[in-house]
Amino acid sequence: MALETDDNDMFDCILMADEKFRGEGYQEGFEKGTYQGLQTGRKHGASHGAKLSTEISFYHGFVVTWKCLLQHGPDPKLRKRVKALESFQYLIQNCNCDDPKSAKLQEDMAKLRCKFKQVCSMLSIQTDFKDYTKTSQAASF
Amino acid sequence: MKENLTLIQRLNAHPDSRCWFVGWNPNGTLLASCGGDKAIRIWGREGDSWVCKGVLEDGHQRTVRKLAWSPCGNYLASASFDATTCIWKKKNDDFESLTVLEGHENEVKCVSWAPSGNLLATCSRDKSVWIWEVDEEDDYECVTVLNSHTQDVKHVAWHPTQELLVSASYDNNICIYKEVDDDWECQATLQGHTSTVWNLSFSATGERLASCSDDRTVKIWKEYLAESGQGELIGDISWKCVCTLSGYHGRAVYDVDWCRLTGALATASGDDAVRVFKEESSTDPDQPLFSLAAHMPKAHSQDVNSVAWNPKEAGLLATCSDSGDIAIWRFQEQD
Repeated sequence: MALETDDNDMFDCILMADEKFRGEGYQEGFEKGTYQGLQTGRKHGASHGAKLSTEISFYHGFVVTWKCLLQHGPDPKLRKRVKALESFQYLIQNCNCDDPKSAKLQEDMAKLRCKFKQVCSMLSIQTDFKDYTKTSQAASF
Repeated sequence: MKENLTLIQRLNAHPDSRCWFVGWNPNGTLLASCGGDKAIRIWGREGDSWVCKGVLEDGHQRTVRKLAWSPCGNYLASASFDATTCIWKKKNDDFESLTVLEGHENEVKCVSWAPSGNLLATCSRDKSVWIWEVDEEDDYECVTVLNSHTQDVKHVAWHPTQELLVSASYDNNICIYKEVDDDWECQATLQGHTSTVWNLSFSATGERLASCSDDRTVKIWKEYLAESGQGELIGDISWKCVCTLSGYHGRAVYDVDWCRLTGALATASGDDAVRVFKEESSTDPDQPLFSLAAHMPKAHSQDVNSVAWNPKEAGLLATCSDSGDIAIWRFQEQD
């Protein structure tokens, strides 16, 4: 009986080899793929995160500079502009950029871009800032 | 079909070009038109006929798509494909360019003055709606940029009594905006049309809104105030479609105008016809019925782009077309 079992094992071995190697190959490939996917994802995330960061930082620098330039003066029109800058600053500070997966981030960015357009119009700035503000708009997650 | 829409006069307003829009000034004495020839023309009555009183040129580099008279009648705003909005001030019998509003990225499609005259709304192919504040010194300042549509915004209109703004878009939707805590927000999105919404018109009281679309229908929306259990008003705005006029128009409906004097609804369509609808009396306000009161096939030789009821003289109607001409009609009800 023992011989029969051995025979069976031998044949099993041959018959199951295909499946066994396929399983191992799959596992190995899966691990490599996961690693590569992570690497690509990390690169993608870092690049888009950097672009988004550039945009938000640009807005921040813009607001701080313009607030310094406009702060002094009793002119009511000036005050209106400072107020608009302050509400822009509030939006920047409350932008949900710590959680890249959040749907609110897209919403917040849309709000920032709208506010930036309004503030530029108020301050009569016609300079083209596309290099700073357009880069991260094409981000697809 | 009933013969109660009679032609008073036809004007070759914008020769060799399209006439995009006609609009009466608030006291109904002047008619302004604009077109593909980049010009704005002002028409007035002389005796029994309408004549050109003035041409405003050099304001725009491209097609002038729409115009808006200020509620006081002393200013005219023009929206152009050159991405700017021009404000013209009436001086004696002439108009002079006062200021140019810049900011939209591309074609400005529509401009509208709030009933107070202190706010102006513009919309563009750049998908945004801008609201401008006007001060005593004729200075215009952008107070907000709204991005609620996903496509080209075709039309903006203000509520006749409240500071409530509506916009219509190529994304098939209508958005309603209100100022909340110093900030303008989209409060409601009306979905129902299956293609581009071209135009919007409020009823005299502002309780209802008519919209017309590329889907060949006109829809009537009614405002329902959300009430809590105690009957108190909650802030939310809720508009529901209470009537759809379908099967009348052979092509897209480009314009709808609700007469503030008679309640008649006029439409301009790509099938070259002008139609007038009247509401059946004693219908349920939640399910109103409108019937076709007048139909003028071949009102123009090409697409009819705009239709406008005179605000003071009931039944006087102006239309314009891709053929470049303006027609003035009289609508008389048959008993």
